[in-house]
Amino acid sequence: MATDISHIRNFCIVAHIDHGKSTLADRMLELTHTVDERTMRAQYLDRMELERERGITIKAQAVRLFHEGYELNLIDTPGHVDFTYEVSRSLAACEGAILLVDAAQGLEAQTLANFHLARDAGLTIVPALNKIDLPAAEPAKRADELARLLDTDPDRILQVSAKTGEGVPELLKAVIDRVDPPTGEADAPLQALIFDSAFDTYRGVITYIRVKQGTLPSNSRIKMFATHVTSEAEEAGVMAPEATPVDALGPGEVGYLVTGLKDVHQAKVGDTITLDGKHGASEPLPGYREPRPMVWSGLFPAEGGDYSELREALDKLKLSDSALVYEPETSQALGFGFRVGFLGLLHMDIVRERLEREFGLELIATAPNVEFHVFKGDHETIVHNPAEMPPGGDYDRVEEPIVYATIITPAEYLGAIFELCQARRGEMVDMEYLTPERVEVHYVLPLAEIVFDFFDQLKSKTRGFASLDYEPYGFQEAKLVRVDVLLHGEPVDAFSSVVHRDKAYQYGKQMTERLKELIPRQLFDVAVQASIGSKIIARETVKAKRKDVLAKCYGGDITRKRKLLETQKKGKERMRRVGRVDVPQEAFIAALRVDEGAKRK
Amino acid sequence: MTAAGIYVHIPFCLTRCGYCDFNAYAGRDELKPSYLDSLSKEADLASPGWDGQGFASVFLGGGTPTTVEPVDLRALLTRLRHRFDLDDDAEITIEANPDTVTEVSLSALLDAGFTRISIGAQSFDTKVLAALERIHEPASVRAAVGAARRAGYRNLSLDLIYGATGETLDSWRRTLDETLALAPDHISAYALTIEPATSLGRKVAAGETPAPDPDLQADMFMLACETLGDAGYRHYEISNWARPGFECVHNLGYWERRPYVGLGAGAHSYRDDVRWWNVRPPETYMEMLGRGQLPIGGSESLEPSDAYLEEVFLKLRILEGVPSSWFETDRYERFVQSGLLTDDLGTLVPTERGMLLLNELVLGLTA
Repeated sequence: MATDISHIRNFCIVAHIDHGKSTLADRMLELTHTVDERTMRAQYLDRMELERERGITIKAQAVRLFHEGYELNLIDTPGHVDFTYEVSRSLAACEGAILLVDAAQGLEAQTLANFHLARDAGLTIVPALNKIDLPAAEPAKRADELARLLDTDPDRILQVSAKTGEGVPELLKAVIDRVDPPTGEADAPLQALIFDSAFDTYRGVITYIRVKQGTLPSNSRIKMFATHVTSEAEEAGVMAPEATPVDALGPGEVGYLVTGLKDVHQAKVGDTITLDGKHGASEPLPGYREPRPMVWSGLFPAEGGDYSELREALDKLKLSDSALVYEPETSQALGFGFRVGFLGLLHMDIVRERLEREFGLELIATAPNVEFHVFKGDHETIVHNPAEMPPGGDYDRVEEPIVYATIITPAEYLGAIFELCQARRGEMVDMEYLTPERVEVHYVLPLAEIVFDFFDQLKSKTRGFASLDYEPYGFQEAKLVRVDVLLHGEPVDAFSSVVHRDKAYQYGKQMTERLKELIPRQLFDVAVQASIGSKIIARETVKAKRKDVLAKCYGGDITRKRKLLETQKKGKERMRRVGRVDVPQEAFIAALRVDEGAKRK
Repeated sequence: MTAAGIYVHIPFCLTRCGYCDFNAYAGRDELKPSYLDSLSKEADLASPGWDGQGFASVFLGGGTPTTVEPVDLRALLTRLRHRFDLDDDAEITIEANPDTVTEVSLSALLDAGFTRISIGAQSFDTKVLAALERIHEPASVRAAVGAARRAGYRNLSLDLIYGATGETLDSWRRTLDETLALAPDHISAYALTIEPATSLGRKVAAGETPAPDPDLQADMFMLACETLGDAGYRHYEISNWARPGFECVHNLGYWERRPYVGLGAGAHSYRDDVRWWNVRPPETYMEMLGRGQLPIGGSESLEPSDAYLEEVFLKLRILEGVPSSWFETDRYERFVQSGLLTDDLGTLVPTERGMLLLNELVLGLTA
């Protein structure tokens, strides 16, 4: 029977990667006997294989726990900057959040950003230090840090070890005591918030929802506000933690709905579900936003013939990834492929990895770029591909996306961070000492600079101690130019890049130097040039090859020599031709790898 | 009928050189007597398959054949003459290491029937010899050549290797001059190739020694072409020069795709588009012959496409070249225009620059 609304608590856990969120969830599942000992496995809720390998929870999930007469809905939140919007929707499904911080490492930017989101969403924060069993733990110091942040008494901060289970019962009790029960009327028009959706091969689109107002019966005709789609829902249920059908979901409850839809784009995160017809609500819940790609990259099959397979794979992936967008693209150098938009770099890595692993594709990806707004007269063009940028500055101005970045760092690395952000065209907004040793700094930075190995640089300049989070902050004019790379006079569209004018030379030099190493010597000298419009800004030469023959070839060498030639022949067949120059696949892949140059320095 | 060749592999050496990845062993002298027995047995077992085939050459390679006593080599040669139809004027070559020969031993070998000696000089620069991990001194080469001439050899070849660490173009020029001063009849000059499973290969992989610079080796090759050509030597194969009439009959057989029988551990044989080879470890080789088996370790039948590829890359190594009618015009014309091939009345022959880029030529012609 439905739990009385006063005995429901909806909460999530806000934590940095590796701070023990999944382990804490495991202990809660055990302690509340939601999962029996026999079926328990580590990181129980992190279902997707990919998540397990990366140690990141991508898809939010809700699990219902019963504890001392209370229904506790634990809503899992994604833990990465790419998914800020998804996080905000998960938070909107909760009344409370456990702020979980590693007692050895302290607060990280990610956690702080999500904490701000949670607080701004009006959630009750239940702070807890995890890993207090670790020798390196400094619970007193971290409690002070947290108390200052929350403007609360250090005694209010719970201390747990998710690993041993110590302090977890007290934490559950604090959730019950401190977090407000949800509110809502059972007979009001239905408003259910979608905070996650997934595609199941057998059951179609499954949404994870929080009923804000009204009641959702199991088999009802539903309507989506944003997409105006209606459908016969097949089943409502709760995750306990396996899917368990229920007759209805009442106000304040969290569960899943098998929507009867076949396309995940029809049930978008943040949208509101209501009942179709006259019992439906007239207004959606606030806060819906279309998913918006931030980072773009060209994806091309390594074998030209795999284009249709890549298209099919993307079409399939799109069914379960509502944020994925793509359009066909033709590259002179790389052939037929797609320009794909991603929420961020992690999302890009995940999609690429899934395409390669789940669909067995071998891909060449161009360096990621952001979206540019190009203005000429009163005409605005949106450019997702540097090769489409008008060359030679044939426009009035260009705007690029900027972000509001939060960096948390030990104070000793402040200098290094100023230097890095300065070099990346950042403008400092403010900074605040969290403790005498730890500082929170805010910068406005061009997203393009973050996309270009910023995170790696930040980690290496601060020995991994600084953490970063950012959110979109609009567009801003910048002196941007398109730099082209030419091989033997032929531009290679895949290597074109839009960079700040002051960095064009550096980029050109870096690309030409890198390509000089990667392009095999040909029978003639090959000029490797970088240009802005018709102006050459950097040049290297791949000297003509002079010798490739084996000195000796006697009776015992002939078979081996023939096989070597056959291998070389196959290698040549796999090369791409740019004008007269043969460029091996590997050279493209290596030259387009963003981090390569940084690592070499 | 096309004359064939006999190759005999002697896998014994005094020491192992840094660049050598041949089937050769130092410090296994105790195997010699039974290995020589095995060679005889193999000749007995293999020869019936070559009935009716005439042989124009014998080549004793290794390893270092001159680590075996002349009396034993004489017996081996006698056995070969019994078993195979060897021409009276056959070219019979022995490879020699400068430190393993004396005038007496060389006389004995000449008397046993060897008509040609190939001495591994490698370099006349002590630093280069050290880089190659050779144990002899330049003086030993001069001594060995002197001894061979006094013993009466009329056909003498010197082997050189260029491009080792520390060798400069000047040093190579001196080595070429010293070589010419000894007036050999034939010169083989090889660009040093680093093989992974060698002492030098490991040093290069570990970064202890730089890999040879291919551009410097190309310069050295061009210098050899010029210097040896001016001295009257004919450049008849990528790495081989000879005074007219002293081209190595045996080795030409490989490039002209004539048949050959290989005896000894790891030796290859070839006839009519079939190639087969003996097991490599001397112990296994001897065991199999002890059981009365031919010690064959593997074989391949060449498909027409394989045979075609071999024909092209082997004949382009020598002046014989290949007919241009084998290829579409646009395949070879760009190479003729860029000076890598000459088209002499329908025969394509690489220029000296083209020889250095033979792989590109072969791939470009046959792609």
